[in-house]
Amino acid sequence: MTALLEIRKLGKRFPARHGREPSPWVIQDLSFSVAEGELLTIVGPSGAGKSTLLNIIAQTDTASAGEIIVDGVPVTTRDPRALKPGIDRRIGYVTQDDNLLPWRSTLDNVLFALEVQDRLDDTGRARAQALIEAVGLAGFERYYPHELSGGMRKRTALIRTLVYDPPVILMDEPFAAVDAQTRTQLQADLLRLWEMGRKTIVFVTHDITEAIALGDRALVLSKQPSRIAAEHIIPIPRPRNVKDIFALPGFAATYEKIRADVQ
Amino acid sequence: MTDATLPIDDAAEPAASRKWLVYGGRVALALALLAGWEYGARALGPLFFAPPLATAERVWTLAVSGQMFADIAATLRVAVAGFAIAGVAGVLLPFLLRRSPRATEAVEPTVMFTMGIPKYALAPWLILWFGIGDMPKLVVVALVVFYIVFITTFAGIRGVDRRLISMARVLGARERTISREIIWTSLLPFFFTGLKIAFPRAVSATIVGEFLVSTQGVGRYIEGARQVSDTTGVFAGVLIALALVLIINALVNAIEAWALRWRPVEREMEL
Repeated sequence: MTALLEIRKLGKRFPARHGREPSPWVIQDLSFSVAEGELLTIVGPSGAGKSTLLNIIAQTDTASAGEIIVDGVPVTTRDPRALKPGIDRRIGYVTQDDNLLPWRSTLDNVLFALEVQDRLDDTGRARAQALIEAVGLAGFERYYPHELSGGMRKRTALIRTLVYDPPVILMDEPFAAVDAQTRTQLQADLLRLWEMGRKTIVFVTHDITEAIALGDRALVLSKQPSRIAAEHIIPIPRPRNVKDIFALPGFAATYEKIRADVQ
Repeated sequence: MTDATLPIDDAAEPAASRKWLVYGGRVALALALLAGWEYGARALGPLFFAPPLATAERVWTLAVSGQMFADIAATLRVAVAGFAIAGVAGVLLPFLLRRSPRATEAVEPTVMFTMGIPKYALAPWLILWFGIGDMPKLVVVALVVFYIVFITTFAGIRGVDRRLISMARVLGARERTISREIIWTSLLPFFFTGLKIAFPRAVSATIVGEFLVSTQGVGRYIEGARQVSDTTGVFAGVLIALALVLIINALVNAIEAWALRWRPVEREMEL
């Protein structure tokens, strides 16, 4: 397997405010790579710099050290104005907040991605409609975000990224803010969609169960300054039934091993 | 009756009675105001306080003769033109400054400083420059409106959710698309607030301008009436100006409701 995304000795510290010491390193010496078609999960405690890490990969923030290599090409910059968020639509980013446009309906929020890329054609519309149906949002196309439940909003945000088919998708605890039952359903939806297309996904979470249920491989982040503390291959075969993940052979042992590494 | 219709029926009843309560309150307040007006006229005499009936008669006479509409047209011509020029400038400038914090830092203090200039006091000097046509009035109106629109638009731009912009950039949106779709739509509530404050002031500024230089207009009529101690004429002119502002505000409200139809309706946001 070739590495589609490679992180080499990444470091991040925030610039010093006037009259203060420079901030300590949030991320230091962090390296990992993701193979094409892999679903990689990253577990870390709160404040481990998980969001910062994804922001740097998505290029909405700069790195202070190290390199990011997408498809063999280094894309890192230290200059905030030279950042290219989403690096030419090759990196999709599903953030913790759904960031739906409140004045656009479900369908129009999904189509927004295609619209800004000048790719809104019949194929795109059909794809959007198919995704809306695949995640059970059929009938809610004309609803505004404030009329949808939390889970529905998450689904809309998810398919807004899936609709333009970026080779790499970053996900920052996208299911953290919903109730446990909805979360399991969303995880199942995500796995089903992923098995249809086998995109490369980097999924960040603080929930060990989620990291096991979704991932081919789980990385554990240390406390700050954040590095990769451990790596675990998830031995549970696919397709997985997320609802019964606890009962699957290999779950308990993997859970114990990961928990021992999470500080 | 199915379960689905139940809550709607429940909500409709109190909402309707509440609506009538509001209308009743409005009518009662208007009547009280009229009564106070009538009392004032009787207590102070028509020279200091024109009676409501006489004022209404005068408005009617002006309407029938067509003079009212000629005056309104003259006033609106200046108010709307000045408003439009300043409105466009007041929106464009913050958009141009948006991408450059340094340019903003350079320009904003100057804008805020010049805001302190008493615009009406400039009128005599502007007449010296531009003569006694529409131009000096136009400049005053534009100056009055510009600062209001500039400040509300800037506040709107600063209030835009940065996460939405970041999301759009990751999707590959161009800056022009972000300005048009995210920033402009987000600041619409601010923009409409600015319009609603600025328009009555544009009309007021025009009328004050007409006191000084004009051959036509609502301000011209009020000033003419004042010069011959025709208090009823002054009151009629003020009433016409008031109606003008009310009608235009209703128009702005309707446009606002249409432009912001995606927002949760106010009934759902009761405090």
